[in-house]
Amino acid sequence: MPTDEKAPRPLGDLERLVMEQLWAADGALTVREVHERLSGTRELAYTTVMTVLDRLAKKQLTERERAGKAWQYKAAAPREEMAADLMRDALDRAGDRREALVRFVGQVSDEEAALLRDALARLEARDG
Amino acid sequence: MITPLLLAALALVLAGPVPAFMGRAAWPYRVPRAAIALWQSISIAAVLAAFGAGLSLSYSTAGQPGEPRFDPSSPRDLTAALVLALTAMVGIRLLWSAGRVAIGTRARRRRHRDLVDVLATPDGLIPGLRVLAEETPLAYCLPAIRGSRVVVSVGALDRLDDGELRAVLAHEQAHLRARHDLVLEAFTALHRAFPRFVRSDVALEQARTLVELLADDDARRRNGSLPLARALVALAGSTAPEAGLAMAKSATVLRVQRLADPEPNSTLLAVTAYTAAVLLLVVPTFTVAAPIVRAVVDAVN
Repeated sequence: MPTDEKAPRPLGDLERLVMEQLWAADGALTVREVHERLSGTRELAYTTVMTVLDRLAKKQLTERERAGKAWQYKAAAPREEMAADLMRDALDRAGDRREALVRFVGQVSDEEAALLRDALARLEARDG
Repeated sequence: MITPLLLAALALVLAGPVPAFMGRAAWPYRVPRAAIALWQSISIAAVLAAFGAGLSLSYSTAGQPGEPRFDPSSPRDLTAALVLALTAMVGIRLLWSAGRVAIGTRARRRRHRDLVDVLATPDGLIPGLRVLAEETPLAYCLPAIRGSRVVVSVGALDRLDDGELRAVLAHEQAHLRARHDLVLEAFTALHRAFPRFVRSDVALEQARTLVELLADDDARRRNGSLPLARALVALAGSTAPEAGLAMAKSATVLRVQRLADPEPNSTLLAVTAYTAAVLLLVVPTFTVAAPIVRAVVDAVN
């Protein structure tokens, strides 16, 4: 199964949790602040949080700046903006960029929707 | 002089009329796997024939063996060099295009996967499945060597029952297992290697439809046709139509109609398509290779 069970899932999970903290925060957060906010719900090493924030910065999902001796992190864009980006990419039917995703279904017109229902009705009459 | 002309003619026929004919025909949809093989063979043969034409033309104008020295004052030698340079340029363009598509596709996919990982929740029941909190019904896969993802939106989950969801997942996992994305990538690279006025969209468009049919066939073998057809209708019926899309029957309509009227899988048709695919590759290869082999044999003797 190529949908990998072996990939570092926990780290991926953490990325999501960390991003949620950053989105919820008013301004930029230090590693310590993120760590504090997360340790309410789960047992986490400080270095793990640091690693995750570093990974997120490399993926350009967070931005960081120096605040004294520590790094401060904030989300590269608000959640809605990233979600909109993702949806635009997923729905992009402008031919040339379509190859990146393999879509289950395309868009259809009203006439085509009628054709679809006809064909389904025939199949249901036979198999259903 | 006859070999380059024949090869050039073959390249032109394979680039224009043959794809047009294949694009209008309905039979490829009955044997999607064989049809993909045939399309691949047509594309490769067209490229090989074009190369062969260039190489053999420069060879035939470059004079006899025994006078191999390049003479810049001879028009014949200059023509040969020019033809050779043109051929090389086509080759470089192909490689360039393949590289760009491969790199661009992977970068975009990686970015998309990073976004999915922070925005979508994994579904504990099915490994690799990510659920996106979006109302737009959507299901797709993000292929990768390691860490491929299947993404389904909440809007899609709302519209699907268990059986239909299983059919959708089976379809996506068929894409991932068979690496259909690589098949499409090759067609995309070839498509982009040629300028707009020479290329046709037929090969790439039909390849896209054919891999969907292959994934459908896999899913229907596992769960039956009905849940898959229902899922297709449930997810397609609700997406907004796009202007200009209604001209040709969309792949979705074709897929559901195909599930409803399964034409008998024709072994004869598949065998014919595979045979044609092999012949197409063998003929230009031998035409190109034969003079070279002959020249080598002559040289050895």
